[in-house]
Amino acid sequence: MSSVWNWIAIPRHGWQFAVFLCGALVIGCAVLMLLTSTPPRYRKTIVAAVTFLAGLYYALEFLIPPALWPLKPPRNPLSEVQPLVATLTQIIWSFALLLGVWNLFLIHGRAVAKHGRGWYNSAAFFISFFAILGAGLLKDYAKNAGLSKASESIFTVLFSGFLTSLDATMFSLIAFYIVSAAYRAFRVKSLEAALMMAAAAIIMLALVPVGAEITNWLPQAGLLSALRVERIGYWLLTSPNMAAQRAIAFGIAVGSLAMGLRIWLSLERGNFFDRQL
Amino acid sequence: MSQASQYASPAVWIVESLLVFFILWKILSARRGRELFIRRIPGLSALDEAVGRATEMGKPILFAPGLSGLDIVGLQSMAILSHVVRKAARYGTRVIVPLADPVLYTVAEEVAKDAYNAEGVPERFNPEDVRFLSDRQFAWASGVVGILHREKVASALYFGYYFAESLILAENGQMVGAIQVAGTPATTQIPFFLASCDYTIIGDEYYAASAYLSREPTLLGSLVGQDLGKLVIIGIIVLGAVAFTAQALCPNVGWLCDLTATITKYFPRS
Repeated sequence: MSSVWNWIAIPRHGWQFAVFLCGALVIGCAVLMLLTSTPPRYRKTIVAAVTFLAGLYYALEFLIPPALWPLKPPRNPLSEVQPLVATLTQIIWSFALLLGVWNLFLIHGRAVAKHGRGWYNSAAFFISFFAILGAGLLKDYAKNAGLSKASESIFTVLFSGFLTSLDATMFSLIAFYIVSAAYRAFRVKSLEAALMMAAAAIIMLALVPVGAEITNWLPQAGLLSALRVERIGYWLLTSPNMAAQRAIAFGIAVGSLAMGLRIWLSLERGNFFDRQL
Repeated sequence: MSQASQYASPAVWIVESLLVFFILWKILSARRGRELFIRRIPGLSALDEAVGRATEMGKPILFAPGLSGLDIVGLQSMAILSHVVRKAARYGTRVIVPLADPVLYTVAEEVAKDAYNAEGVPERFNPEDVRFLSDRQFAWASGVVGILHREKVASALYFGYYFAESLILAENGQMVGAIQVAGTPATTQIPFFLASCDYTIIGDEYYAASAYLSREPTLLGSLVGQDLGKLVIIGIIVLGAVAFTAQALCPNVGWLCDLTATITKYFPRS
């Protein structure tokens, strides 16, 4: 089975690429026409069947280990096609990205056309979009070596010089926001807030050398060593904190399983899941 | 990762079968008309308050689904978005939805359009209010911060998967004086939202949102099934803790050794 999938998934060039592209377009249009011409009451059934089959693939791939498949040598054939499934998902995502870019063009295009407040920000979007697009394409596809090198330099300036630095700037802002958030969170207004404040203070002290210095007079071993700041800090992190985090994680896991199950079996109700297709 | 570890172990089969059984059983019994109780979740009740505040102030609502894609977290976020947009559409309040995932963007646009149609005011839907900003984490975050300040939103709702940008958004929401409600399954971001938001939905409450807001019997049944599933997990944890503690106290009891060996076999330490 994997050899068939591999044959389909091999990158194509030249006339083969054109044939596969046309074939994909024809099949895509046929499926779309078939869905459109299907009576509305059957459309949901088709969508439910496709959802079930897609979910079944992942369920079987995970739940059945290679030893249980009647194959020699033991292997799970569904795992072998996983890269192809991942590629298909990526292709769908890429198509959707075009829709996202289209939305950006619409919003910023209207802003520039209307010359409204802050229209120059929208103009900056177009300039930066086409600058990095042009530099990226020329870097990879320019036949002229000099042009390709120049484009690479421009691309590096735009990507590493601008984008990465701006990303890092936004990330570094978190340090300042943590201070203002911590100020609000640690105001002692109730017993719970006081407990949190005390726990936070102990953990902060446990993480710095001066904290260990405060209780350095206590022995390193024995019953009293449990009262050393670094030990209390470690205990707070690994026992009460870890227990709470795991409890939340268990709840999230069960919740996501339930929601996944409802979507897989088309049992999800309410909001847009009930709409007529 | 070893070859064996990427597949389910017998313990996973047993536990997942039990969870699936309880969830489906309760869904079916709820569909047969059995009344089920669901406790009050303040964060979800606050959604109506957030819509009301924005309406009174004549300012828009911001609904940010985080960096979620079209997965369980993203779909749950869309279910909440649908509820919020319907409520807001009733009162003519704008809901701005900035997105980081292009696939989820297409879904969000449909969800918002459907919600306006369902309320009988399709003409109020503004396609520009559902915006794809960027798929880069901090580019998206700076875009959302810009919207928070420029639009001076009255309510900011953060429902979805968040990473480090959670605090940036929530603190900027504080700065513009917005009422903020957050819900995320990302355990590392919950403390940040707790510190900066007015209401925070923690852990599996996030997945209870659609049941809580719609009161659909199927979803309520699923929620009760989840609780029974959690009891199964609690039972396994208690059994393991008691068995290993007892074995440590009485190391020579044969059946205790067998029990702990069986537990270790099916639930190996990772």
